[in-house]
Amino acid sequence: MLERVGGPKARHFFQKEKISLGVFLIPAIVIVLVFSLFPAFYSFFLSFFSWNGFSPTKEFVGLKNYRTALNDPELKNSIIVTLIYSLLVTFISIFLGMMIALALNEDLKGKKLLRLFYFIPVVTPSVASGITWKYLFDPYNGVINSLLKYLNITGPQWLNSTSWALFSVSIVGIWKRIGFCMVIYLAAIQDIPNSYLEAAQVDGATGWHMLRYIKFPLLMPSTFFLIITGLIDAFQVFDLVYTMTNGGPIGATDVLGFLLYRHAFKYFNLGYASIVSLTIFIVLFILSAIQWRYTQGGAKNVG
Amino acid sequence: MKKFLLFLLVLVMSVSIFAKTQVVFWHYWDGENGRKLDSLVKDFNSVHPDIEVKAVFIPGSDLMTKIQTSVLSGQTPDMAISDIISVPLVIDTGKVIDLMPFVKRDKYDLSDFYESTLVYGKVGGKLFTIPVSSSNLALFWNKDLFKKAGLDPERPPRTWDELVQYGKTIKEKTGKFGYELYLDGGEGTTWQWQIFLWQAGGEFLDPNKGYRTATFNSKAAVKALQFWVDLTNTYKISPIASWGLFSRGEAAMVMDGSWMTQFFPAQVDFELGSAIFPYPSDGKPATNMGGEQIFIFDTSKEREEACWQFIQWFTSTKVQVDWDKATGFIPVKQSVAKDPSYNAYIKNTNRLLLPFIEAQQYAHARPPIKEYSQVSDIVARAIISAVYKRGTPQEVLNDAAKQVNALLGKE
Repeated sequence: MLERVGGPKARHFFQKEKISLGVFLIPAIVIVLVFSLFPAFYSFFLSFFSWNGFSPTKEFVGLKNYRTALNDPELKNSIIVTLIYSLLVTFISIFLGMMIALALNEDLKGKKLLRLFYFIPVVTPSVASGITWKYLFDPYNGVINSLLKYLNITGPQWLNSTSWALFSVSIVGIWKRIGFCMVIYLAAIQDIPNSYLEAAQVDGATGWHMLRYIKFPLLMPSTFFLIITGLIDAFQVFDLVYTMTNGGPIGATDVLGFLLYRHAFKYFNLGYASIVSLTIFIVLFILSAIQWRYTQGGAKNVG
Repeated sequence: MKKFLLFLLVLVMSVSIFAKTQVVFWHYWDGENGRKLDSLVKDFNSVHPDIEVKAVFIPGSDLMTKIQTSVLSGQTPDMAISDIISVPLVIDTGKVIDLMPFVKRDKYDLSDFYESTLVYGKVGGKLFTIPVSSSNLALFWNKDLFKKAGLDPERPPRTWDELVQYGKTIKEKTGKFGYELYLDGGEGTTWQWQIFLWQAGGEFLDPNKGYRTATFNSKAAVKALQFWVDLTNTYKISPIASWGLFSRGEAAMVMDGSWMTQFFPAQVDFELGSAIFPYPSDGKPATNMGGEQIFIFDTSKEREEACWQFIQWFTSTKVQVDWDKATGFIPVKQSVAKDPSYNAYIKNTNRLLLPFIEAQQYAHARPPIKEYSQVSDIVARAIISAVYKRGTPQEVLNDAAKQVNALLGKE
């Protein structure tokens, strides 16, 4: 590892100065311990208790919270809803992001402006996006249904329909992520050596062939990276749901993040909230482990 | 020498300042309400030279978590307010003191408070919190739409049947919705529905069993929920939509809070009326109550006494009249509601508030239990399921009752 950092000279320095190296690490270690590891373990500890955070006594209930979780239709619903949301957002945004990146890589007039245009949603705060989209989706006065009406289509109830609500929230999630996928793909496409494409051209490859047999395979590491980070990101969604639907109607958009929020900060069921967070943790842990393994401990440069 | 004297003077002065009992008061009143509180606190401090109340504003969404951490770290303020719904959690900390000894010692008149406001603070023979402000719900209607539909704009519906009739007329004549229901879920849905439930003669949780058994699946409850289903699905005079159609002139009637008498006039471009909410001809009037209560944390005898002095002063009829005039809160005491200067003031400045003040005598309290938020969400989900035709009112309410009984039976 050290060799990669700075060669023999640096290695010599670090060997001599192991103590100072340790000193440099202390602040980071303390922060991780105090603000990440301790709360995580404490939350696990709390999952065996019934406690609202106000009462001076925590009641030990053993595995009761776990048994409740196994039979909880709301938790089951939340897992399904979160999975659907994550898959929709991750894969559709990757697909669209790739299309846009391929298009914007060509010599297009105003492509810089277009890149900016697609990237703006990424840096727009989720809360602001959620509230704005809520207005756009309004079934009676909203822009979207007014436009549809113009085309003689009766728009759906969007956020108030149990079948459309999750899809509507996903649209916003996708809209917010396309720009990020685009940027990653743009960088990756520019990394593809021109000689490959020229050689293929000489061999008489069509545009589709070059896309299918050269660009797609060479973009695979980026795609993989985007799938994993996309799923991790989407699995923790909260703000869009909080601002747009409040988990409704009838739990149609009740993602795990929102269920966790409800139990922790609305019902003050800290024990049960810990189990919900544990569920999220397990999924994220598996996803991170896959990525860690694939990229060989983060040493391999993805993208 | 001169310098030394000056130093001595400063020292003596600072000691005399510290001799004052300083107490910290957490609240979440912002805007006009916050400004009024600050000026009241200033008044109090000037007439009580030995006490200094320091009002500290905490955003409403943070107050409960702040109280939570302050209790855990042992650094509570001296007194605070909270939403009535959170009072059971506050009491659960075990860090707020029983006010009954003070009440008895000073012959503080509790009977002047509306009974429903005292439900939250009373546990056994103890009293942990005292009401300081209130709000409730009533009917608002759009007089312009009434006129357009050929209805008398000065006569609101008085019964459920009339509400339906009016709604149908409005839908036929203007194409707008008759009555807007709150269907965004959560407590917003539940607390509106509770009014229909009480009007039909039902109870939410059984008060005789310590509010630990669901009664919201009774006959009266089914009647109330069936009415919501009829409004949306049978008569189609209530839309299934996000909240806010009334203020845009898309619905002619709505149930909303007393605080909206201040906000609606600035938001809407039509003439407004307000009235006690219509109830079934064989039922009774009812409304739901919101508001804040004040409580004292366990600190020291001296500081608790100082807090009590403030509470006594703040809840006196004279100060409450002043407070309610400025904030638009609904009186928590009957003597305030009957006060001639208060009534004259409201008649001249905010006539829309009058029905709310009148409705306060019909106000019910939501069950004072720690698990209320969760119960409320379960019921809201059932209500919306019925409106979305996922089951009959009886089925969805029975299902919710089963969940709630399991939740509340845990203890």
